[in-house]
Amino acid sequence: MSSLGKIADSVDAYNAHVAAEVARARTDQKFAAELRERWAKIHETVDWTVSPTGTPLPRLALPPTDDPGAIAEYLLGQGVPGEFPYANAAYREMYLDRESGSGGGPATTGEEPMRLFAGLGLAEDTNARFHYLGKHQKSLRLSTAFDGPTLYGLDSDHEGVLGKVGEGGVAIDTVEDMVRLFAGFDLTRKDASVSMTMNAPAPIILAMFIAAAQRRFGHDCVPNLRGTIQADMLKEVQAQNEVIFPIDASLRFLCDMIEWCVPHMPRWYPVSISGYHIAEAGATPVQQAAFTLSNGFTYVELLRARGADVNHIGPRLSFFLDCGLDVEYLVLGRVCRRLWAIGMRDVFGANAKAQVLKLHSQTSGRSLVAAEFQNNLTRTAVELMLAYLNYTNSCHSNSADEPFTTPTAKYATLASHGQSIIMEESGVFKHMMNMFGGAPGLLILEKQVEKSILEVFREMDTLGGVLAAQEQRYQRSKIQEAGHNYEKQIYSGARPIIGLNKYKSDEPMPSVPLARTSPKKQRLQVERLQAFKKKHAKQAPDALHRLENVARGKGNVFAELVNTVEVCSLGQITACLTNVVGKFRPMV
Amino acid sequence: MAAAKKPLSSAPLRILTAVPICDGHDSAVSTINLELARHGLEVIYLGYHCPVSTIVRAAIQEDVHVVGLSSYNGGHIVFFKEVVDRLRALGAGDIPVFGGGGGTITKADERVMQRQGTDRIFHAGTPLNDIMALIQREYGRVLKPNAKLRGDRALARAITLAEQGSGHRGSRATAKRRGSGFVVGVAGPGGAGKSTLIDELTSRFLRKSPAGRIAILANDPSHPDTGGAILGDRVSMIYAQDDRVFFRSLATRGGLTGISAATPAAIEILKHSGEFDLILVESVGIGQESDPFGLFSKKRRLVDAMLFVLAPHYGGRLQLQKIGLLNGADLVVLNKCDHTMAHTARAEITARLEANGKGQRLFGTVAAKHHDPGVNTLYDALAQLGSLEVSP
Repeated sequence: MSSLGKIADSVDAYNAHVAAEVARARTDQKFAAELRERWAKIHETVDWTVSPTGTPLPRLALPPTDDPGAIAEYLLGQGVPGEFPYANAAYREMYLDRESGSGGGPATTGEEPMRLFAGLGLAEDTNARFHYLGKHQKSLRLSTAFDGPTLYGLDSDHEGVLGKVGEGGVAIDTVEDMVRLFAGFDLTRKDASVSMTMNAPAPIILAMFIAAAQRRFGHDCVPNLRGTIQADMLKEVQAQNEVIFPIDASLRFLCDMIEWCVPHMPRWYPVSISGYHIAEAGATPVQQAAFTLSNGFTYVELLRARGADVNHIGPRLSFFLDCGLDVEYLVLGRVCRRLWAIGMRDVFGANAKAQVLKLHSQTSGRSLVAAEFQNNLTRTAVELMLAYLNYTNSCHSNSADEPFTTPTAKYATLASHGQSIIMEESGVFKHMMNMFGGAPGLLILEKQVEKSILEVFREMDTLGGVLAAQEQRYQRSKIQEAGHNYEKQIYSGARPIIGLNKYKSDEPMPSVPLARTSPKKQRLQVERLQAFKKKHAKQAPDALHRLENVARGKGNVFAELVNTVEVCSLGQITACLTNVVGKFRPMV
Repeated sequence: MAAAKKPLSSAPLRILTAVPICDGHDSAVSTINLELARHGLEVIYLGYHCPVSTIVRAAIQEDVHVVGLSSYNGGHIVFFKEVVDRLRALGAGDIPVFGGGGGTITKADERVMQRQGTDRIFHAGTPLNDIMALIQREYGRVLKPNAKLRGDRALARAITLAEQGSGHRGSRATAKRRGSGFVVGVAGPGGAGKSTLIDELTSRFLRKSPAGRIAILANDPSHPDTGGAILGDRVSMIYAQDDRVFFRSLATRGGLTGISAATPAAIEILKHSGEFDLILVESVGIGQESDPFGLFSKKRRLVDAMLFVLAPHYGGRLQLQKIGLLNGADLVVLNKCDHTMAHTARAEITARLEANGKGQRLFGTVAAKHHDPGVNTLYDALAQLGSLEVSP
């Protein structure tokens, strides 16, 4: 049995344990008394606050019951926010207003959840967008999208990619571009957080980020750098198709990076285990959750096989889910947190810190359509509500113009303001924690979704686990099949999309301003790259030779990359590593 | 059974689909591929992250009616122009190129792209059925002999005519020993790793024969009801995407022998050209009955040697006894030989080959591994059989 089978069994066992404890609470007087006492103590920790219109409210909503069975069901089945099995939330207070609290309850995390993904043109263009978006945020949040050539590890002067330079994200070829990208921002600030949507070449790009930060803030700044790099290669193989090296080599480079980051960058999340692209490629919400969690467990196994301690790596893993409009999204984050916690505790022996699934969400890009695109504002707003109802730790909202273009400033601002309206203007999430957890609809959905996820786990288990299933294209086939069903539902009208297949107007497609990178800028990027290569022409061969030796041996490739990027470009490094480990054979 | 010989006009429309370089969005194109095949088209799918040169080479060698590109992350104006320009430069400007990209390719972009030679763009919201009808109506012309075609285009057209049942007919007497090129048949059950192995052998050929050319004929089944096919061997090739490789995908079009009825003629065309040192012919995934290369018939024999590929999951000793092709194969390969079941498989196959008493050799390979030494050994044996170069 692969670990997936064991995880599914452990969840069943945990559910049976909860049921037994609930029954015991109703028959065993002593146990019932203990539970009532614990319940009273929890109530004592709850502070009260007052809404702006004068209504007194507890800062934590607890089920209004004294029944020991119901108490046991809540405490063991869902958990108080911040407690095992974390169905309600990773932390006790999440987004609550700090100011309105009183007394000695646990502090909020103080973490601002909004992240705004940006990337366009050359480094200085994205830098300007970061400065513009920063005006709408309380703390420093820089989330970076890269262009196609960078995502595939190619230099901007690679044959046939010129038209793609700076399109859909920022063009980064060298450490000098990375310095320009974050110019003017103090990356060592306590409230700073940088995230990078970067996968196959993630080790090279993170090495450039470190080198760029060291140039600006000194050699010792590394432990202060905070943020996340996506680097999730399993979902690339299964869904997003940005893969350069064969799977074994890709996973080795990733594990090298994670192992280096764990001691050297205590504030950095070196992998973001992502279902977003799995869902965007077509997966149902259940498939998204099942494949993402199983990929996460696979990374834990791989790292443990290399000797890592689950309690060291567990807290450094983060997750990223898509939030669309299907009903399952009401509970997807809740179910994932619960399954992860049970699996990590009961199968891998993780401690409390290593059991918590930390979740980033993004509204669904696939749900946005070109037809009558202003409706996308409403779609995104509803999805934001669903994501926050799942108590996501951070969230990105898509821009309404994304079916046409990399977000223009106008719609990026509206997307950002959408979050502020929900979180700052409305009172839904400000005063009372866990308003909806335990609602009958949510409980039913949670149970059904969990059951379906475990079925997928067991199916993959019979195929030999995640990697074996992946080799048999199991995940890809399932995702593609679901994607076709979705398309068929749209064409048949079974899935209404307002303005597209229902309530259509005859208005012609509006002309929307586009964010495109000019050929002049694309040529400028190539000139900069070639100047860099010329400047370092003497040192580059030696640096690449050292990298090649590490890659051929058993050393940590990431540790060497931090040196290589000083004098070599992304494309030079990719070519060097490809020469050692070969190319990925495409899966379709 | 579908009719083996159809009237000329009903030869399926062949289309090449691909996603441009640095773009991994394959969700839309996979839906389109399935629909195209369901409508009876032969789809040669090249996958995502495809460079211009790979697309144009495939369009020419596969002699397609039309090229469809699905682009979702920008740069389409430049990319489409490069594809059209390169097709024209290589004498294939008559192959139309269309595209789609949801909302990312605007009407204004389309006007620019059409001026630069792209045929049309399908915009967001176009119903699938409309797309299918338009492709069949606009691009379904009959491909005819053309004396002006040169190089790979001429070879590709000759094979197309053979597929249509017209043009170069493969008379079996002349198919043998005329022209040049060592012909190797590659057969084995589906999933054994035939395509990967062929690609890895190709990489050895390209390294060891620095000036030579290799041809690959890859057979895939047609759908028995619709007549369509997704010809998916080309997409998984890494090394075979090279100008020194001529790669042609063949749909079986109703033939049930494991190869297309045009394969004998295609082999003859390739040999007759004198271009190729090595010609690999891949059958569809086959089991216990068929004899695609005529190994057991002196008159029908199509190949100089046969390579049979197995993976460890063949189902045990008894199943192994039933695979008749193991009696005719010159080279037998146990692929995925790093698998836990491989030890037993190796012993069973060895015993099976010894019982044949023909001195057949068994090779263990892990084709999925970069620079697998087992594949090196296999290639050297193959090269020796075919008297090919084996420079280090």
